[in-house]
Amino acid sequence: MNRRFVAGARSGFRIFLPLSIGLIPWALVTGVALTSAGLSVVEAMGMNLLVYAGVAQIATLPLIMAGAPLWLIGLTGLALNLRFLIFSAAIAKGFHGVPLRLRIPSGYLLIDGVFAVCTERMLAVRDWRWRLGYFLGPSLWGWCLWQSFVLTGVLGAGALPQDWSLEFMATIALMVILVPLSKNRPMLVAALSGGVASVLLRGMPLKLGVIVAIVIGIVAGFVASRALPDTRGA
Amino acid sequence: MDGIWLWISFVLVSMATHLPRGSFIVLGQRASLPPAVQGALRYAPAAALAAIVAPSVFVVDGDVQPFNPKLAAAVVVLVVTLRWKNPWLPFIVGMGVLLGLRKGLGF
Repeated sequence: MNRRFVAGARSGFRIFLPLSIGLIPWALVTGVALTSAGLSVVEAMGMNLLVYAGVAQIATLPLIMAGAPLWLIGLTGLALNLRFLIFSAAIAKGFHGVPLRLRIPSGYLLIDGVFAVCTERMLAVRDWRWRLGYFLGPSLWGWCLWQSFVLTGVLGAGALPQDWSLEFMATIALMVILVPLSKNRPMLVAALSGGVASVLLRGMPLKLGVIVAIVIGIVAGFVASRALPDTRGA
Repeated sequence: MDGIWLWISFVLVSMATHLPRGSFIVLGQRASLPPAVQGALRYAPAAALAAIVAPSVFVVDGDVQPFNPKLAAAVVVLVVTLRWKNPWLPFIVGMGVLLGLRKGLGF
């Protein structure tokens, strides 16, 4: 394996490792949720391998189990995942020079946490092998961690107390990613605007309010980066 | 829903996930967004995470509840995350506060 690739993978793994611990409770919660909804072990893990997106899995599952029309299931999934279109566009330059056969699995592996910590250097480093390693190292680690702990959750679901509000661990996991991101002012403005808008627009059909709120947050952050004086690293 | 329909819906949600994820990474040089949009996109992760988190802590049964156990736990998680680096602490303390309020005090 290329030396630069390995060096990149090592750096990426190191920067993602602490954050990746946050995936564990979240994966356990997802595994428990899939089983509680009535899926067998094979079905739960099949969905988990095909989709590999906790939020979309947990949110579409009630629709799927209720026999909702396929178009509604597909649109709901798409609405929840449109943020990935934005992430994909934002990190795409980091894959300049990487062959197509490696870009396709990279797309499959793109998750929030890796995007959050790796994008900046993905866009700054020249060597594509280093960049690919820097992305794939933490991404593959995240994938293994996710799959194994969802399986643990699926298998262990029966043993857990049902009334412990364990789903709240998913919210804590998202906060652990969000808080360090919001330390510069435009980011904080983006987060606050997105959060408030999402609460106000929660009544929109098909969870579309989440998408609109994300767009509002992005615009607010962008405007703030132009308007506020102390914009470090903009 | 069972059997083949279940798997068809899984494939559908899979496509709804991986088309957006792969989009620009796979298209590469053939497609790009204008630089102004690229700059604005830096704010996407924070906006998206907040848009997912906020309703789950402020909204209870469809209504905004300024005083609820999840919000109290979220505030504590915020303080813990800002103050300490330990990756387990937010989960332990956050769940502790939530369960303490729900079970201990009956909220």
